[in-house]
Amino acid sequence: MDESFTPPATSSAPDLSVLLIGLLKRVQYREDDEPLWSALLRLQARIRDYVAVLNLELILDEAEGYAFLKSRAEPGEDDPSPRLPRLIARRPLTYAVSLLLALLRKKLAEFDAGGSDTRLVLSRDDIVELVRVFLPDGPNEARLIDQMEATINKVVDLGFLHRLKPSTGTSAPTNYEVRRILKAFVDAQWLAEFDARLSNYQNQLANSGVRT
Amino acid sequence: MDYATLDALRAHHPAWRLLRSDHAALVASFLHRVFVAPNVRAVAETDLAEALEDELFALRQRNGDEAFPRPALHYLNDWAAADKGWLRKYYRPGTDEAQFDLTPATEKAIAWLTQLAERQFVGTESRLLTLFHLLEQMRDGTETDPEKRIDELRKKRQAIDAEIARVADGDIPVLDDTSLKDRFLQFTQGARELLADFREVEHNFRQLDRRVRERIALWEGSKGALLEEIIGERDTIAESDQGKSFRAFWDFLLSSRRQEELSQLLDHALNLGAVQELEPDMRLRRIHYDWMEAGEHTQRTVAQLSQQLRRFLDDQVWLENRRIMDILHGIESKAIALRQEPPDGTVTTVADITSDIELAMERPMFTPAIKPTITDAVLQSGEMNVDASVLFTQVVVDRARLTRHIRNALQERTQISLRELITTQPLEHGLAELVAYLQLSNEIFRSVTDESVTDTITWQACGDDGHPVTRRADVPRILFLR
Repeated sequence: MDESFTPPATSSAPDLSVLLIGLLKRVQYREDDEPLWSALLRLQARIRDYVAVLNLELILDEAEGYAFLKSRAEPGEDDPSPRLPRLIARRPLTYAVSLLLALLRKKLAEFDAGGSDTRLVLSRDDIVELVRVFLPDGPNEARLIDQMEATINKVVDLGFLHRLKPSTGTSAPTNYEVRRILKAFVDAQWLAEFDARLSNYQNQLANSGVRT
Repeated sequence: MDYATLDALRAHHPAWRLLRSDHAALVASFLHRVFVAPNVRAVAETDLAEALEDELFALRQRNGDEAFPRPALHYLNDWAAADKGWLRKYYRPGTDEAQFDLTPATEKAIAWLTQLAERQFVGTESRLLTLFHLLEQMRDGTETDPEKRIDELRKKRQAIDAEIARVADGDIPVLDDTSLKDRFLQFTQGARELLADFREVEHNFRQLDRRVRERIALWEGSKGALLEEIIGERDTIAESDQGKSFRAFWDFLLSSRRQEELSQLLDHALNLGAVQELEPDMRLRRIHYDWMEAGEHTQRTVAQLSQQLRRFLDDQVWLENRRIMDILHGIESKAIALRQEPPDGTVTTVADITSDIELAMERPMFTPAIKPTITDAVLQSGEMNVDASVLFTQVVVDRARLTRHIRNALQERTQISLRELITTQPLEHGLAELVAYLQLSNEIFRSVTDESVTDTITWQACGDDGHPVTRRADVPRILFLR
């Protein structure tokens, strides 16, 4: 062959920039932009190399159709490799938010086991119902609902619930879609940690002799 | 068909429950009009609610306000609830709005109701012939003895030869009108039934998917056995009787030769005098496109189901789900115990879903907050005879007058930009009036804002020294629409 061969790498560079910036900013969903998604699949290896420099890891779930960046696991105690600062912050969560995340995760697992639809949509009442059992009994129902509202908003902010646009002309209550990305963040490890925290707290309570 | 079965069906089957319902007439007529007659598969919540609202309005006009007092959406959700099961409510990817479709049971009930209306006549001859053909196909299709098969083919050839000879002699047998009508009615019914079947096919696929999932979820065996099961189940849907039959149908319909043939045959049939006497629904001419559309819908469902099932069967996901359910059980029991004293403060953390990178240079510069220090704050007693009217002669923008301006302008034309409007009706109160216009554009009138064009609006105002000055404001182009 006497034709000179130029690698197509340069032509894909703009895509790479768009993808990297996009990934640094938010979760990428296949349904949002199919062409971008296929570029992502194509440039996977280069993206991985690139973000490794930033101590990040690309998590890509082809079946679920989402991709995001995650901090790489910190080196163990006896590991001499240097500890790098985190680029992606960890957000502290209150008990109410943690519990709601766990319960939503359960709902999602049940939903997957029972049905064939992909989108789990819950109304606000459904969500309140989900949590109600775990809340202290009190005469002030309204206050409880208000608190729930704040918790739900927090989860919306975190990006695990998506508020659906209410259909025009109806006064139906707001519906929320449980984003499937929740599965990646609230995984077995996270839940086990939450469980352990609760055990600790329970022990503390018992030891300090507080009784209700 | 014993008593117990029928009793259970009467209590549980959605179709029978629909027929028993007090609202049966409303449900069946409405759903027939919206879904069955135009062969529509999915309708968005808003559209369906609107259509029902119209229907309810008409009914209330006729039967009094008490007839159906609740709002349309309430009825729709009720019909889609698990205890009724007349509609399927689901969320399609890519839209935030709920979609509705008929359930196969409802379709059956509606089909039965339509049969109650008398038919012109029931074609029996064509039906017998169809049955006869079916039996023949079954015999020919299972015959493995080549001798017999060839015999059969020879017999057919002889029959064809004989017919050719008869036609050559000028003896051309023609179907009479009755036979034509008989066949056409049979065709119409079959074509409609085929359409109805798609919903049921889809429903069957969904049931199949559900059964597989249930089995996996309840699995108690070892991982090895599970994997074996999983591999066995991978293509359950495509390999089921339902899947194979559907695929064969789909391949048949998809061939372009078949489609052309169908179009020609349908055209020919619909142009026959005897058929036209029956006043057929002209949509029949494109019935095969309706089949294609319905088939495609089903095809998509099957593809989606297979993909999801595969994902669900992914052994890692499955094992993780299992573990998650175990842990969640622990969390739930602890949460119940801690109900009266939930922990305060931060309990867990989660990695941010985003990493907002804020560059130092992009942050706004520090601006010292202005703290007004009030040095002379001695209150002095006021004098009684101050002219208080000054307080009330501040600028008052007469919104009614502005509204009138816009209305008048829109009587002559369909749209007017804010700038043009102000050229004809100069601002009298300057900025305050301009703001009032902007408010009107949001509240009362239909308007569009074109961000790409900037209009400059000028007006005369009174300067600090009492001399008139010209002021200007740049706003994006705003168009008031009729």
